[in-house]
Amino acid sequence: MMIGTASDTVVSPARPNRVTLRKTVISCVVLAAALVLAIVSMSLIGSEQLPARASLCALASLGTSACGLTRDQFDILFQIRLPRILLAAAVGGSLATAGAGYQALLRNPLAEPYLLGISNGAAVGTMIALIFFGASEWTRPLLAFTGALAATLAVYRLARGRAGATPERLILAGVIVTTFLSSVIVFVTTLMDATRIRSFTFWLLGDLSGTSRALLPVAITIAIAGTVALTLNARSLNLLMLGERDAFDLGVEVGRVRIAVFLVASLLVGSSVAASGSVGYVGLVVPHLARLSLGSDNRISVPAAALGGALFVIVADTVARTIIAPRELPVGAITALIGAPLFIYLLRKM
Amino acid sequence: MLEARDLTIAYDQRTAVAGLTLSVKPGEITAIIGPNGAGKSTLLRALNGQLPRSSGAILLDGQPLERFNRRNISRRIAVVAQEAELRFPVTVLEFVLGGRFSWATNSGWGWETDRDLQVADAVLRQTELTELSARLMNELSGGERQRALMARALATEAPILLLDEPTANLDLSHQATLLALVRNRCDHDEAAALVVTHDINLAAQFADHIVLMKHGKAVHAGSPRDVLQPEILLEVFEVKVLVDAHPVTGGPRVTPLHETHRQL
Amino acid sequence: MVACASLLAVSFACNSAPQPASDGPVARELTDDAGRRVSLPVRVNRIISLAPNLTEIVFAVGAGDRLVGRTSYCDFPAEAKSVPEVGDTLHPSLERIISLKPQVVLISTASQLEVFTQQLQSQNIAVFVTDPHDLEGVFKSIAQVGEMLGQKEQASLLVQKLRERAGTVEAAVKQKPAVRVFYQLSAEPLYTAGHDAFVTDLIRRAGGFSVTVDVPGAWPKYSNESALAAKPEAIILPTGGSMGAGNSTVTEALRQSPAVLAGRVYKINDDHLVRPGPRAVDGLEELARALHPDAFK
Repeated sequence: MMIGTASDTVVSPARPNRVTLRKTVISCVVLAAALVLAIVSMSLIGSEQLPARASLCALASLGTSACGLTRDQFDILFQIRLPRILLAAAVGGSLATAGAGYQALLRNPLAEPYLLGISNGAAVGTMIALIFFGASEWTRPLLAFTGALAATLAVYRLARGRAGATPERLILAGVIVTTFLSSVIVFVTTLMDATRIRSFTFWLLGDLSGTSRALLPVAITIAIAGTVALTLNARSLNLLMLGERDAFDLGVEVGRVRIAVFLVASLLVGSSVAASGSVGYVGLVVPHLARLSLGSDNRISVPAAALGGALFVIVADTVARTIIAPRELPVGAITALIGAPLFIYLLRKM
Repeated sequence: MLEARDLTIAYDQRTAVAGLTLSVKPGEITAIIGPNGAGKSTLLRALNGQLPRSSGAILLDGQPLERFNRRNISRRIAVVAQEAELRFPVTVLEFVLGGRFSWATNSGWGWETDRDLQVADAVLRQTELTELSARLMNELSGGERQRALMARALATEAPILLLDEPTANLDLSHQATLLALVRNRCDHDEAAALVVTHDINLAAQFADHIVLMKHGKAVHAGSPRDVLQPEILLEVFEVKVLVDAHPVTGGPRVTPLHETHRQL
Repeated sequence: MVACASLLAVSFACNSAPQPASDGPVARELTDDAGRRVSLPVRVNRIISLAPNLTEIVFAVGAGDRLVGRTSYCDFPAEAKSVPEVGDTLHPSLERIISLKPQVVLISTASQLEVFTQQLQSQNIAVFVTDPHDLEGVFKSIAQVGEMLGQKEQASLLVQKLRERAGTVEAAVKQKPAVRVFYQLSAEPLYTAGHDAFVTDLIRRAGGFSVTVDVPGAWPKYSNESALAAKPEAIILPTGGSMGAGNSTVTEALRQSPAVLAGRVYKINDDHLVRPGPRAVDGLEELARALHPDAFK
């Protein structure tokens, strides 16, 4: 059996709405171009003024030439701004993809890493890493992943009822796990000394200013790998989205796909939270928008969500770091400010 | 093709199916009828491996079901359920194309081939859904949705069809069409169908073979003429019936007799 | 006749005055930093402090033996640690405070005011706000507390000594060019001292110029780029005291700053820099010595 692109010679009237490879490639290329544009343009914006032309020139040369920028300007551009923007992209892409995965798997457009308690699980894991293994950076994403996974399992266990884990029960279970873990976080926070509380609370709300040199490539790799992994399961997810029974009947290895999605999504959430705290609403709003504009087919909506999420967080973070410059706001506050009204609007359209 | 041997399915301290044996042969439609709670749907779910069995065997093409992987089973057995969970917007075409999943060579990924699209078009035509192929599933009426479910099952090209109350939401004309489709498939393509239904007369008209279930057991099995006898039906359904010959088909026609029947 | 009239007058005064403290006659009223007129007994024997700097001030004016309650952060002087705790600065235990039967509760932030004042006043416990924002404010606080506790002389002696020390420091650095200073409260996320921070005043007096002096607020979260662009000549890392381990290194963005390249990163006990109390002058001296070592040979 040959796998090919949709042919125009099939006997049928005008091709009705379904997602084709062509449509997917075009959408992804457009979004990727927008992403590159955003990366370049947002790196020209910041709390310190940089000469635009020289900066563009330096960026184009990929950092090999300073193009007339002073040493400090060059450092600001390449050591502070660009890594931060790339981290924002990685975090946004990871969270949006994870959200898309949860929504498909749990058959609920409201499933989101934060609502389900996964983000909080990752945050608790990160806190443990910070408190007990402070020096070693690698423990953070590792324990964050473990925390996210533990939260996922807890949610799933709690949600298991007579009729299996219905989406409603899952969301309820998620809310229970979220609030429980929130209390844990508050408890540990109050045990911290006064000055650390302030900085930790800021981090919890989403902070992209940490420039851990070693962890940035990890975050980017995980974002890309996770998106690819989920996209490779997209067709199974398409069927799962319409019911576990139906998917089973049609040949999907439901159990296996479920485990894969949970693992991948936990990894994505864990890596994001370890790097930047809880950036909310990305996993909720971006996949929703992707599905609204491009269709529910995960083959297109998952990569689109990844790219869209990256864009969203880059822009939100630019606002967070410039609007009261030289002070900064937590990026989670901005994503919530943009995301919440957007979400209300989307809900009304539904 | 598909056989259940002494199949028992028990869970939650209930025995849903007890020691049931049946066999589905190519070209045959077997109807499974019985009162509520008889275990009909449970039986259906177990036959494609969805529910675990407690004892007994299920054989697909002579081999135990466990030997097959999920995808292979789906290529041989298709299920038409009663309703679909439509929480996300999908078009009818996308929905029907879902039936081609088991034929995709890249598990979980891949794009629909020309063949997939051809099959989808054909089944849409057969179920009279071609005009609606671009519409969203949740814009359809109950009957249209059921036809879409049928179309998806047909799109799998599986020779064994398991149907769970397929005519429940259909109006008269579509009821007949749908079952005619099934009949056609069985007659011309050597397919076999197992239909769980409440509609005894529909079963009488279309089925080659009827299995009467009560409390998880197959209490009677045979041709419609053999099974649809007043005494048998009284025993199983606990209602008096009149069985006469259908004026057109000649087969048995069952009319329940209610206490409050008006005397004409 | 006159005696009767004055008795009448006094009784009227008693009735119209705000709830007096239970111990002893109401003898005086002091105005606190929130502009409230607080009625106090002549002799205050039982006092609770709800801020570490205020605890230090109480001990410094020689009234430490009259402290019956403190927060868990009040750790100086050593004698303070044997005073019963009533909780932390923001949410102390009201029950514990009341059970310790203080006459006055000293608080430093107005945010505690709403929560406490009504409840404590209904128990006949006076609440006194003293909230120094700069060194001058500290001297005023010491005088206020001294007056309240009947230790006026000791207080003014202390203030005089502190002023002398501060004056010496300021005179020594007067002619020197101000050193550009960055105060790093926390490395990641990057927090610094803004316009309203207490330490900003100390930095100025020590012959430094805080590069974040114009940033609104007391402890703003600061942009990494702006920190880099500020090119501080010296970096203060407050450590020890109540800081955790999260501030032991200079933040990434400042690793190439003139301060780091010249090795001018100074770790100073943050209790000397952020507590508006007598030890702030210690902090001032340490800052000045770090910023202008040659002025103190």
